[in-house]
Amino acid sequence: MNKQDGRRAVVVTGARTPFVKAFGDFTTMDTIALGVAASRGALARAGLGVRDVDAVVWGGVILPSGSPNVGREIALDLGLDPRAEAMTVTRACASGLQAITLAAAAIERGEADVVLCGGSDSTSNAEIKLPQKVVHALAPLALGKPTTADYLGVLSQLWPITDLLPRQPKIAERSTGEVMGQAAERMATRNEISRAAQDAFALRSHQRAAAAIASGRFDDELVEVTTPEGKVVRVDGLVRGDTTLEKLGRLRAAFAKEGTLTAGNSSALTDGGAAVVLMSEAKARALGLRPKAAFRSWAYVGVDPADQLLMGPALAMPLALERAGLSLADIDLVDLHEAFAAQVLSVLKMLASDAFAQARLGRAAAVGAVADERLNVHGGSLALGHPFGATGARMVTTMANELARSGKKTALLGICAAGGLGAAAVLEAVD
Amino acid sequence: MTDLLVDLGRNATARRLIGALGLPLPLPTALRRGRGPMPALCLADQSVVVGAAGAGGLVPMLAETLAAAGARPLLAGWSMDAFVGPGEAYGRPPRAAESLAEGQRVDALVFDASGLDGSDALAALHGFFQPWVGRVARSGRVLLLGRPADDPALTSGAAAAQSSLDGFVKSLAKELGRHGVTANLLRVEPGAEGRAGAVVRWLLTNRSAFVSGQALRVSLAAAGEASAAVVRPLEKRVALVTGAAQGIGAATARALAAEGAHVLCLDRPQEEAAATALARELGGTAVAADLSDPASIAAVVAAVAALGGVDVVVHNAGVTRDRTMARMKREHWDAVLAVNLRAVLALDAALDPLLREGGRVVCLSSIAGIAGNVGQTAYAASKAALIGWVRARARELGARGVAVNAVAPGFIETRMTAAVPVAIREAGRRLSALGQGGLPEDVAATITFLAGPAGLGVTGQTLRVCGGAFLGA
Repeated sequence: MNKQDGRRAVVVTGARTPFVKAFGDFTTMDTIALGVAASRGALARAGLGVRDVDAVVWGGVILPSGSPNVGREIALDLGLDPRAEAMTVTRACASGLQAITLAAAAIERGEADVVLCGGSDSTSNAEIKLPQKVVHALAPLALGKPTTADYLGVLSQLWPITDLLPRQPKIAERSTGEVMGQAAERMATRNEISRAAQDAFALRSHQRAAAAIASGRFDDELVEVTTPEGKVVRVDGLVRGDTTLEKLGRLRAAFAKEGTLTAGNSSALTDGGAAVVLMSEAKARALGLRPKAAFRSWAYVGVDPADQLLMGPALAMPLALERAGLSLADIDLVDLHEAFAAQVLSVLKMLASDAFAQARLGRAAAVGAVADERLNVHGGSLALGHPFGATGARMVTTMANELARSGKKTALLGICAAGGLGAAAVLEAVD
Repeated sequence: MTDLLVDLGRNATARRLIGALGLPLPLPTALRRGRGPMPALCLADQSVVVGAAGAGGLVPMLAETLAAAGARPLLAGWSMDAFVGPGEAYGRPPRAAESLAEGQRVDALVFDASGLDGSDALAALHGFFQPWVGRVARSGRVLLLGRPADDPALTSGAAAAQSSLDGFVKSLAKELGRHGVTANLLRVEPGAEGRAGAVVRWLLTNRSAFVSGQALRVSLAAAGEASAAVVRPLEKRVALVTGAAQGIGAATARALAAEGAHVLCLDRPQEEAAATALARELGGTAVAADLSDPASIAAVVAAVAALGGVDVVVHNAGVTRDRTMARMKREHWDAVLAVNLRAVLALDAALDPLLREGGRVVCLSSIAGIAGNVGQTAYAASKAALIGWVRARARELGARGVAVNAVAPGFIETRMTAAVPVAIREAGRRLSALGQGGLPEDVAATITFLAGPAGLGVTGQTLRVCGGAFLGA
């Protein structure tokens, strides 16, 4: 994007709610309420009022069926000028990043100057669905003027009774029926990622997140949330800075009998929201705001979900780098979404492999080994939690802040997502 | 078509009972067959034990092929080196075969015998197969890789060793057939390794379930680049299938369409309703033409020209007029040769200008053409003629990247064979390694393989789809 014309999209600020384990303090807050809380914080930090936002682009995975355009509901609940249009996008765990890159594209095309974007999810408010058989059977009663025969017909269709029980919602692939943890478990086996390596990575995530919290590093990202019950939530609820390899090692395998994935080295079901304020660079300057980062590139890819479901970042990150005209060596910070330690370590292994680069990327040499000191410097989803739609916006916020504070130049983001999708983006510092 | 013995064999109680009673009933194993288009990961999660002799020159090709197709390589007494890279690239790291748990079965055995160079070296065959043959799962695969024994570069000792593979693999096919396990041999000409992977892959899939005891050769005879396309390789291709209304022809039309081809379903005017229905189902085009009439060729050419040319021609139409020679009238003889041979030659000549570069021609031969049969002098002559025809046409068309092959079905459960007297039918089914008849889908899958990019390295050959039939083997 041309820096001269001022249309480059820049990150002005970002804010997020604390991330809280599902069925915890945020149980009675739905994804809209979480989005509102995060957005209110972001707008306040940017000093924006209700008439300053041109559009809202929101990402979410578990969308409420009665109001799936969460972005519009957030705009209305925030009291934004009704003329601020809004949309909601879903791309599984990459939804938050998707919302932000769509907002950046809109700004850079000149469609808007100020966009509120981000994502949220409330796993506590996943809707428990009636089996489709019941829905179809009940249709004559719900939609028509039922006769006695209709009622009897419905009764006969609703047998056996076990078909009627509501199904537990689970994160299973529609195409393969595989639960995500099982897919990650297979990736651990196939990429030879040991339990010990996974636990060590999880420990690192918790330690780094805890250090970031202790240092106050997240203070300007977090917004206080007062729950409907009147409780004030100020801190992330899942980070365990005092965990140890011994404690992690005692946990039982969660997805396979002899498996290596546990609750400790997998990200937890989480409630939370994260928002980013994106502006055209000219607008930000005019408002006297200091842009923190701009998008140099982004990339989305797909792989066969039946193969290695969560390997997407290993393809998306090289593509984003290529589009940015950079190599991994040029990158100062790497932020890789931690769905599972096994998935992160698999992706890192692929990035470092010459054989992978030759066979899967058509390149002579590996993308490169990610230096430990550059990777997930403030922890990741394993420690902080993973409210699906919010994660991308959390990562953009943390990396933009890190670039602005540290004087570093570039950050590479990578996110894996259900459906065999992968997402990546390159952020660069703005002088 | 039901086969009582295969059905009984599916039933564990019946199997035990027959065993306990000591009945001399060879219960064939119900074969695992793939349906629908070939998936990208056609060997997903299959455990394949790999071994090699001597230099193991085909091992790198094997390592890449197996990992890319999703197989789990288990190495028996062979270096892991070649498998590490592909393992990393596709997340299929090699393991030592010995690490397999006691009693755990494997889906396939693959042995690179290309390095066998003398009589003593043959001990490697025993060394690899003896411990493993008993552990292949039902309907599993055994595949040997070798070099052409007629390669003048081979020493006489190496030629003998490479020649030994024919007898070895045919015997193995007969021994393992009752478990539904197939055994085949692939000879790879030096320099053609890049084309071998696609053939290896197909021979290991559930699409080759009824091909056993066969030897194929991969060569550079047809010009062209090896293609990596596995999924829907026939998209944007036009395929002509003669005799498409019923049986093997209909199954072939379906299989080609499933891989993306626009299929011209050709059959006699009497079969027009069936051919039209099939063409509609497949989104193809029906062509009514009586191939016994030379004048019909023009109509076929016009139909092909209307589609702008053709990529795949399957000469499936055939007739029988079985009579012993003494009783065969000239009209019977002529009827058989007109459709089975003359029409094929005439159609190929007429379609030649419309056959696109990289095309494929597949003729339906028969094991009758290889082994001969009482009452089938005319039929067998026509079917044997096609074996020579494809060999010669392969030479003529190789420079254009066209591969020309024949498939020779053995006993296939069709309307035609259902009409055969019971005793002969039973003999047809049981006198084979797999002890059962094949399905039209088995032949269709083989034709589809030869019709696609995977068939590039295979040309001028006749591949039997016969379940390891003893006739003419």
